Amino acid sequence: MFRSWRLLLQLLPALLPAWAAAQSTVVTTEHVRAELLAHAPEGVAPGKPLWLGLSIDHQPKWHTYWKNPGDSGLPTTFKWALPEGVQAGPIAWPVPLPLPFGPLMNHGYDGQVLLPVAVTLAPGTGDVDVTLRADWLVCKDVCIPESGEFRLRLPAGAVIDGQAKRFEVARAEAPVEPPGAKGSARVDGEVLVVEVDGLPAAAHGRTLRFFPELGGVVDPAAPVEQRWDGARWSARVPLSPQRSESPEALAIVLADAARPGGWRVEVPVAGPWPGPGAPAPVPVPVSEPPASLAASMGLALLGGLLLNLMPCVFPILSLKVLGFAKAGQDRRGLAAQGLAYTAGVVVSFLALAGLLLALRAGGEALGWGFQLQSPLFVAGLAVVFTLIGLNLAGVFEFGSVLPGSFAALRLHHPLADQALTGVLAVAVASPCTAPFMGVALGAALTLPTAEALAVFAALGLGMALPYLAASLVPAVARALPRPGVWMARFKVAMAFPMFATVVWLVWVLGQQAGIDGAAGLLSVLVAVAFVMWALGSPGIGARGRVVLGAVAVPVLVVAVLWAWPGLDDARAPRAAVPEVSADWQAWSPQAVASAQAAGRPVFVDFTAAWCVTCQFNKRTALADPAVLAQARDAGVLLLRADWTRRDPVITRELTRLGRSGVPVYALYARPDQPPRLLPEVLRAADVREALAGIPTARDGGPASRSPS
Amino acid sequence: MKTNHWKLGVLGVALLAASGAMAQAVVGKPAPAFKATDLAGKPVALSDFKGKYVVLEWTNPECPFVKKHYDSGNLPATQKDATAKGVVWLSIQTVPAADPKVRSELQSWQATKHAAATASVIDDGSIGKAYRAATTPHMYIVDPQGQLIYAGAIDSKPTSNPADIQGATNYVNQALGEALAGKPVSQPVTKAYGCTVKYPT
Repeated sequence: MFRSWRLLLQLLPALLPAWAAAQSTVVTTEHVRAELLAHAPEGVAPGKPLWLGLSIDHQPKWHTYWKNPGDSGLPTTFKWALPEGVQAGPIAWPVPLPLPFGPLMNHGYDGQVLLPVAVTLAPGTGDVDVTLRADWLVCKDVCIPESGEFRLRLPAGAVIDGQAKRFEVARAEAPVEPPGAKGSARVDGEVLVVEVDGLPAAAHGRTLRFFPELGGVVDPAAPVEQRWDGARWSARVPLSPQRSESPEALAIVLADAARPGGWRVEVPVAGPWPGPGAPAPVPVPVSEPPASLAASMGLALLGGLLLNLMPCVFPILSLKVLGFAKAGQDRRGLAAQGLAYTAGVVVSFLALAGLLLALRAGGEALGWGFQLQSPLFVAGLAVVFTLIGLNLAGVFEFGSVLPGSFAALRLHHPLADQALTGVLAVAVASPCTAPFMGVALGAALTLPTAEALAVFAALGLGMALPYLAASLVPAVARALPRPGVWMARFKVAMAFPMFATVVWLVWVLGQQAGIDGAAGLLSVLVAVAFVMWALGSPGIGARGRVVLGAVAVPVLVVAVLWAWPGLDDARAPRAAVPEVSADWQAWSPQAVASAQAAGRPVFVDFTAAWCVTCQFNKRTALADPAVLAQARDAGVLLLRADWTRRDPVITRELTRLGRSGVPVYALYARPDQPPRLLPEVLRAADVREALAGIPTARDGGPASRSPS
Repeated sequence: MKTNHWKLGVLGVALLAASGAMAQAVVGKPAPAFKATDLAGKPVALSDFKGKYVVLEWTNPECPFVKKHYDSGNLPATQKDATAKGVVWLSIQTVPAADPKVRSELQSWQATKHAAATASVIDDGSIGKAYRAATTPHMYIVDPQGQLIYAGAIDSKPTSNPADIQGATNYVNQALGEALAGKPVSQPVTKAYGCTVKYPT
């Protein structure tokens, strides 16, 4: 009895530290239970595997972060105090989970996670006393920084494998570097294009999660566009608009949500990284200030008025004049119709604005006039204009094609009919708004939704105003031409502007989808005309109609089937490269960046085939020999950005410049200065004056060379 | 065709209900415009301060990282420094849901911390999304021409430990100092750190 007491007393000093140490391997807070675990399946000895790991058990809905925490948060950090000869490696991070929070995205862990660290012992190391200070940020909707101090004694030679399973799971959850996997990345405008070859077959065809180990490069919340081409995985990852890092290589972790673990690949990034993130332009007198709301609305109203004069709107409005002339006798009804028309126009503009804002909010980087970037839409519009033209020319009557009830609807509900005409006018006007409305729309898109919609409403009101005025004020209405035989002639005459518009649309489509697409569209148009004549011509009898229809309708079906592949948005081949000449080269953000890096000023023409103003400027001011000579002398690089087909990179650059449509003319004089924007209705003198104002790199003053 | 119109209509209506579609904040480009009401109920718009430097500070009195910089006096001192030089300072708190208590709590907390912001604004998420504010604190500087010249952290040590303020580079002081001296901002974008901004979900 006495002896055993003595033994216990002798042993006590040896047992106590071990007992105390065991007690300090766990830290429990309100949000996590953290425990330091060890794993030495072959005994604690030099040359044998030894792992330490912090197990974090989160309360439900709480989480801690990965090494790149994403938009917010902080990674868990370890600070070790170890005896001499003992080395702790970096954390072997398990593949994280995406943790979305509102519009933000974080990367981290919930539930139970083990953060393991490999430990090496130098020869001759005895017992190992480990002290770990760990700091972690634990968040739900609030964030709490927490920390814990952990102590553990690993007796020399002791086999520790009580947590073998946890460490095994952690190893399975960590990404592996597949042998032979190779990747590359390049910056394409605002997107990082990543390609990886040699991922294991199990990954092929799967949708992968993308985690860069370095933060501040890509936008963690932006969806990653990815695809598989055989064994090659490629992705387009939007860069962070507030990118702070420009790495030469990026370690990425790819994971399949359906299985634990993932793959880690280091990909070299082919530069150059674009401008911002480098020194920002300092206070220098800049381009025009963003317009205020009142100014934007005024401008929109004016633009709306101008729309009435546009060639693609005027014929429709002439139809309205015909309508007014017919209804001229009933003033009350006329006023109601004018208001209905106004409502139709304004509502359509609001709907278009709503759609534009929704698409933008939805991340689709589209701009005003975007409808015309789709070959299918252009083809559809060409068909509609052909139908209107044929109808005006008298090839067919609407009444004999449309069901009788529709004609009755038009007749019995003149107000609905007026509102419908307003909607139609807007649909037809949209191609013309881009050149006139660039500034107002650009301003509108930087405004809160309500104010943006106000600007669009002003635009619609401006467009409807002349007709509202004509319907409300008798003096204006009286100034309208009297009804007469001229109406029928005028109607036929109006067919020609319609067909001219079709020519323009076919040309636009040719730019987008090449000569095959244009030929396909033309055959559809011929077939449509054939069908309309066969079924709708008032001069053909019922029997003739059946016979001709039996031929015409299959012809149309065949024409559409033949043309379709050339018009389909996704499959239509992109027409030949944007026109590049000796003077003008194709635009890319890289071309601008590298020219600027070399000290060359850059002038960019943002254009599109469907933009009439753009084409006019291109053939006048921008083709002016004096302008081109002066640009050559000043060493200005002339670039052309063609927005005829949808191009997210160009769309983003336009947004940056505060515009949502083309034309935009930007002069990037020096990298430390914001680009100067030139007027949209461009004169050669404007360009020459801007070119003359380029400060030279040496003296910072205006270029001394005079225009030649 | 009919269904398409129907879909368009739904989209338009959904959009009317949504709010806060704005341009993106990119350093070197025009800062997104915004309008709001300050704690005293006065309207505040970014455009009101054209011709002046404007600092935007995302804040949240409950966030330990914000507390680090207020309890230590670091942010109030930075605010006093900046406003003394004619810089406008707007503190912005993005909240997940309208709650009148937030206003008074922010006001009294600022008073006890001797904060010196020109004005403070409660945001429903639209300003935050336009600037892509992710953390509290998250700092932005707009120059007199309305261009964004800085976006990122308050300083160079991403911790919640007040002891780290000593020895950290205060990026806002640095950028303002450089800009006011007519020099380019040497670190125009840094990685912000702190608590997650509480957006409506």
